[in-house]
Amino acid sequence: MARNSVEWEEKPNFPSTHYVDTGIYTDEKIFREEQEKVFNKVWIIACHESELPNAFDYRTFSHPGGAPLFVVRGEDMKVRTFYNICPHRGNTLLYDPVGNAKRITCIFHAWSFNAKGDCIEISREKQGYQERFSCDKAGLREVKTGIGYGGFVWVNVDDDSCSLSEYVGDAMGLLDEHLSEPMEVFHYHKAVVNTNYKLWHDTNSEFYHDYMHYFNRITGMIQPGYFDRKYTGFPNGHASVGSMAIKYDAYEGSKKRGVGWPGLAPGGWVLIDMFPGMTYNLRTSVLRMDTAIPLGPNKLLIEFRGLGLKSDTPEQRAERVRDHNQIWGPFGRNLHEDLLGVHGQGLAMQERSGSKWVIHGREENMTIHDEGGMRHFYAEWSKLMGRKAHAPYADEAAAVA
Amino acid sequence: MKSRQSIEDLIYKSCLVLDDKNFGGYLELCDTAFHYAITAYSPEIRKEMIWLEHDREGMKSLFANLPKHNSDHSPLSRHATVYLVEEQDEGRKAKVTSALQVFKTSLDGGATELFAVAKMIDMVQLTPEGPKLLDRNIRLETRMFGIGYHIPF
Repeated sequence: MARNSVEWEEKPNFPSTHYVDTGIYTDEKIFREEQEKVFNKVWIIACHESELPNAFDYRTFSHPGGAPLFVVRGEDMKVRTFYNICPHRGNTLLYDPVGNAKRITCIFHAWSFNAKGDCIEISREKQGYQERFSCDKAGLREVKTGIGYGGFVWVNVDDDSCSLSEYVGDAMGLLDEHLSEPMEVFHYHKAVVNTNYKLWHDTNSEFYHDYMHYFNRITGMIQPGYFDRKYTGFPNGHASVGSMAIKYDAYEGSKKRGVGWPGLAPGGWVLIDMFPGMTYNLRTSVLRMDTAIPLGPNKLLIEFRGLGLKSDTPEQRAERVRDHNQIWGPFGRNLHEDLLGVHGQGLAMQERSGSKWVIHGREENMTIHDEGGMRHFYAEWSKLMGRKAHAPYADEAAAVA
Repeated sequence: MKSRQSIEDLIYKSCLVLDDKNFGGYLELCDTAFHYAITAYSPEIRKEMIWLEHDREGMKSLFANLPKHNSDHSPLSRHATVYLVEEQDEGRKAKVTSALQVFKTSLDGGATELFAVAKMIDMVQLTPEGPKLLDRNIRLETRMFGIGYHIPF
């Protein structure tokens, strides 16, 4: 039966852990808080180590907390990360997304820095600053950096954060044995979508939406083992999804798949969602990595990477590229559908659009159509934000009362 | 070149039939050995990338499966300009270089936006029955496509 305006706004008849207020997707104030309390506190993947193979190679990264960063490999081959901001007049230091710079020189007034973040030259230093200021006070702002879990470069802008291994904990257990060989990025693209970053991470955290994907229905949902896949939640908001045997040849026009992935059973598929917006997605012969970079409450930049093995022959690489593109490329069958889905949520969930609740109420013993993965995410989100996802304004309302 | 007009007609017709979602009409323009690819260079990872690649049968399957997928139904409009037609293989083939702009028009309201800029590099088989597409490489400049698209350019 259709509902009237009062009924539409009534709290869903579920435990408070099983639904959220759509204000958490649309509110500018909550988004700013998320940048500070979530993104500026946790470890985030900036790039992959294969993007910086040589000494002095750098890669820029727009941190979701707001800071423009660059990652650079030093002469000592150690990877470090810095704000991409000149300490003099706040200009951008490195403009290109990648490059090689033994000496990083600001184009504005020619202050120079090395790959350890030290200021090594201030142009006409003595004439302008005499003894009052010098290079030793003009170093770059360094950001904590760690490499791991498949060779990804992780950064954390909070100097007081826990270590990367403490942050990840046991969440990568299902993938550990599959990520031991050196990998290489072969696909990269960005997409900007008018939606909230959590809705994208939700899409990566629930499989009930396989109803949207013809490819997944035909190769997965109607195949044995699909409903046995299980979610496991881990501390810090991470979650993993167990594997099954996908029957790829059930999709018309599929090519034979032979390359596979070390340690992954044929047709296997393991997915790990890392809080708050990164997803390891290993299936067929490809590891896909999504990195969500929110630009606003209803604007999201997603970086998509496809990875193969560094040791690939040209033939093996070609098959990985083909496997990747069939479902995950910008013209792939699944990615467009996933993005269309969250685009639609972004259209419907805007301030004053009348949207009110999102339900995460499915309970199926944490198997594939259970919505426990999302509930696990929002429990962590609520903890870090100090706001309940189902009642984000409860404390403010109480204060007014 | 005697057949330049017919080659240009082939290129333009290939755009028109795809705009009309006349996929059978598109395949009729293709040689049985047709190869299609969408490629781009990524300055971010400093690598050549292939984003879609199919033979004629693969394109046929892709088109046949379209109704089974959920897609953005905003129509595309492909605007090509043939820049160069270069005879190859002693006149049996021609390499055609065209500029391609793809526009997307929303169904609700009809707002049009530039969706993609690319070069279209074609190899055309010149047969007594007329020219056929043997190889098409959509060489993208644009690499951000928002929610993406299911139908090739």
